[in-house]
Amino acid sequence: MRKTSAALFLLVTLAAGCGGSSSSSQEGGTFKIGTSSRIDSLNPYVAFNQDAYSTFMYIYPFLVQYDKANQKFAPDFAKSWSSSVDGKTWTFKTLSGAKWSDGQPLTAEDAAWTINTDVKYKDGGAANAAGLIAHIKNAEATDPNTLVVHYEAAVGNVLAQFQQLAILPKHIWTQHLGKSGNGLKTWANPAPVVGSGPFKLTKFKKDEIALFERDPSFYGPKPKADGFGLRMFSNDDALVAALKSHEIDSIEEVPPTAINALQKAGFVISDVPGADQTDFIVNSSPNKKSHPELQNPKVREAFDNAIDRKQIVDVVFLGKAKPAASIIAGSSGDWANPSVQPTAFDIDKANSILDGLGYKKGGDGIRVANGSKMSYEVITPTDLSSANRTFQILQPDFRKIGVQLTQKALDSTAAFDAMTAPNGKYANFDLALWDWVGLIDPDFMLSVVTCAQFEGWNDSGFCDKKYDADYSQQQLTPDQAERRDLVWKMQTYLQQKKPYLWLAVLDHVGATSKNWTGLIDSPQGPFNSLSKLSLTSVHQAG
Amino acid sequence: MRGADYFIKRVVFAVVTVFVAITINFALFRLAPGSAVANLSRVPHATPETRAALKKEFGLDKSRGEQYVLYLKQLAHGNLGISFANQQPVSSNLRTALKNTIPMVLLGTLFAIIFGTFTGVISAWRRGTATEGMTLGTALTLYAMPTHWLGLMLIIVFAGTLPTGGMSDEFLINPSFTEHMQDLARHIFLPALTLGLVLFGEYTLIVRSAMLETLGEDYILTARAKGLKPWAIMRKHALRNALLPVTTLIALSLGYIVAGAILVETVFSWPGIGRAVYDAVLQRDYPMLQGAFLVLTVSVVFFNLVADLLYFKLDPRITE
Repeated sequence: MRKTSAALFLLVTLAAGCGGSSSSSQEGGTFKIGTSSRIDSLNPYVAFNQDAYSTFMYIYPFLVQYDKANQKFAPDFAKSWSSSVDGKTWTFKTLSGAKWSDGQPLTAEDAAWTINTDVKYKDGGAANAAGLIAHIKNAEATDPNTLVVHYEAAVGNVLAQFQQLAILPKHIWTQHLGKSGNGLKTWANPAPVVGSGPFKLTKFKKDEIALFERDPSFYGPKPKADGFGLRMFSNDDALVAALKSHEIDSIEEVPPTAINALQKAGFVISDVPGADQTDFIVNSSPNKKSHPELQNPKVREAFDNAIDRKQIVDVVFLGKAKPAASIIAGSSGDWANPSVQPTAFDIDKANSILDGLGYKKGGDGIRVANGSKMSYEVITPTDLSSANRTFQILQPDFRKIGVQLTQKALDSTAAFDAMTAPNGKYANFDLALWDWVGLIDPDFMLSVVTCAQFEGWNDSGFCDKKYDADYSQQQLTPDQAERRDLVWKMQTYLQQKKPYLWLAVLDHVGATSKNWTGLIDSPQGPFNSLSKLSLTSVHQAG
Repeated sequence: MRGADYFIKRVVFAVVTVFVAITINFALFRLAPGSAVANLSRVPHATPETRAALKKEFGLDKSRGEQYVLYLKQLAHGNLGISFANQQPVSSNLRTALKNTIPMVLLGTLFAIIFGTFTGVISAWRRGTATEGMTLGTALTLYAMPTHWLGLMLIIVFAGTLPTGGMSDEFLINPSFTEHMQDLARHIFLPALTLGLVLFGEYTLIVRSAMLETLGEDYILTARAKGLKPWAIMRKHALRNALLPVTTLIALSLGYIVAGAILVETVFSWPGIGRAVYDAVLQRDYPMLQGAFLVLTVSVVFFNLVADLLYFKLDPRITE
C-alpha cells in the first residue's frame, strides 16, 4: 500500500512505540497524539487510511492480534484456535461473557455473521474486505463460544487475515445492509460507535479529532490511561509546535527535519525500522513496445548499480532510513530473505554492463539502444515527499552511465492513471518513483506484482506466470516453514527480474513527552493496527 | 422602467452564469488527468468483477453524457449526490465544512474591510507624509507576504500562548459556556488574523487608490473653496464617491467566503471548505467537487448581483 496515498490506501504503518521503561506509573489521564494523517471513515467497508484501521483495532474485537514483538499471533477475542488435519476447517474458541459497548452479548455468532456477510457481498458492499476472506466458504457458530470457519482449500495465512478482520456487532450492522449489501458502504457508523475494545470512540470530528474513552466492560486487559485522543494536523510545523508547547503528548511520525530539535527540547525519540520502502519502478509490462531495452535484466542491473542508496539515505532521509533490497522489508521479521541484499553503488560496473550490451554513447553522452536514445521519463507522485530530492540524486548518476532521466510530477491519482494507461495495459510509462508500506505477513506485498492485480495494486506492469504460480502456492501452503522458503524464493526471483529497484527503507520515528511512558515499539507506531497492546500499556510517568 | 429592465437583465444573466458554471464544473474535473475509477477500483485483491461492480455502484460505468443528464436531474431535485470518498451526502459534507469556514473567513474579511478602509483613507488623506509611507509600506509588505508563511510565523511566535491549530480544544471536559467561547476565540484568532492581515493590505491599497482619484476631482476643490471642514469633505464627498470600487471588492470578498482559504485552513488544520475541496481534487471526488463549486458559483454570482443592484442605487449614472 502506498504511504503517500496512504492518505488513500490503507492498511499499515505508523508511528513507533516509544518504548522506554518506567520505574513507577500513574493511572488515568488522557494521552494526546498528534498526527498528520487522517481517519477517512469509521466504516470498515469504506476506510482506506491507516489511522482508520488502527481505530478499528482499539474499538472492535479481532480473533487474534500480534504479540508484543509483532511477530507471533496472540489471543484477542479468540482464546485458542486449531485447524483440521486437511487444513480446510479452522475452529476458534472465543471468550465467554464478553459484551458490546451497548451491553448486548458479544459471541462467536457475531464473528460468523461478519465473515459470512463479507463472503456474501465481497463483490459489492464488502469489497474492502474481499482480500481477508479469500478461499473461505462459510463460517458458523456451533455454540456462543465456538467459531468454525470452512475453507475451499488449506490456506497459509489464516491468522494473518483474521488479524486484520474486525468483528462487527451483528445486531447493529444487520440494520444497515441495504439492498444487496450496498448499505454496508453507505452507512457512516457515526460516533459513539458500538464496539468492544479497550476504548470506546466517543467523539469524532472528521479531520479534527477522535476521542477514545476507556471501556470498563472490555473483555481483555484494562487500559491504564482514562483515554486517548488523536488530533489531526494538516501542517507538520504546526504539529511540531504543538508538541513543543505541550498541547499534545506525542507525535505519531516525526518529520526528519524536526527530530534533533525535539530531542534537544527533551522529548523521547523512538526510532525503529519501519515498513515504508521507496522504490524505483521499471515498467515491466509485456504490453510495452517502446524502449524494449528496459525489459532486459542486464539493463536493470546496470540501473541498480547506478543508484547511490547511501546518499539517498543521508540526504533525503537525513540518516533515518537504510538501503533497501527486497519487496519484503526487515520489519516483516523472518519473512524477509536475508540473502537479498542492497546492490552496491558502482558506476564503473554499470557502464561496463551497458558497454557490453553494445549501447554506445552518442555525441551528447547519451547511449543509444535499439535505435533510440536511452532517455526516459520518470513519473513522480507529488505527495511522495521524498520524490524530488531522490530524483535529484538519481539524475546526475544516471547521466554518468549515459542514461538521461526527466521528471514528470503528477498527483497520485494522475500518476497511477498514467502508469496504467492505456486501459490498464501499462504500455506507456518508462520509469516511476513511489513507495510501499508492507504488512508483517508477506502476502499483500507479494500480491502487488501479480497479473491479477493489474489495474489494482500493480504499479509496475510486472506479470509473470511462474511468479503467479508461486504466489498462489504460498497462499495455499499451511506449513509456515515451507511457506517461508517459498516466500524467500519469490524474493530472490524478484531481485533477478527487478520490476522494482528498491531504494530506502524508512525508520519509523516518533516523539513523546517525558510525562508519558509505556508505549510499545513497533514498525507501525503507538497507534497501530497490529495489536491492542501499545495504548493499553501507555501511562503517565510517576 | 429602466430600473426593472436592469434588474431583470442582471438576474437572467446571473441564472445563465450559474448554469454555464454547472456545466463547466461537470466537464472540467473529468478532463483532469487521472480518474475516480482508478481510486475507487483499487481495492486489495479485488477481482475485475469487483472493480466493475464498484464502477457501476458509483455510476461511473455510464457515458459522460448519461452522467451529465443524471447530474442535472439530481440537481433539479436538490440532490448534490453522495461523496465518493466517505459515502456521505455531499450536502451534509458541505454544510459541516461551511459551518467551520464561514466564521473564520468572515472574521478575517471584516477585519480587513474595517481596518483596510480606514488605513486606505488615512493614507490618501495624508499623502506625501510619513503616515502615508508607513501605511503604504505596511500594506504592501502584508499584501506581498505568502499567506502560509505568515501563518507559520504567527504559530511560531504565539506557540505556547495561543493554540497551534484546530477549531477548539477537544480535550476540554464539560467546559462551561464561557470557557467554550473563550476556547473558540483563542483558536479562531490566529487563522482569522492571518487571513485578515493579507486582505488588509489589498483593501488599504484599493481604498487609497480610489480615494486619491476622488480627491483630485473638481467637486472636492469646490468643497474646500466653500470652506468645508476637512473631515466633512473626506466623509461626505470623497469617501462616498470612492466607495464604488470598494463595494465591488467587498461583494467579491463576501462571495468568496464560501471558498474558504485553502492555505490558512491547511496551516492551521482548520477543517473547512478549502481543505475539503483540496482533498476532493486529490481523490477525484466528482460529486463533492461539483457540489462545492456549485455553492461557490452561486455565492459569487449572488454577491455580484447584489453589487450590481447596489451600484444601481449608489450610482445614478447607470439609470441615465
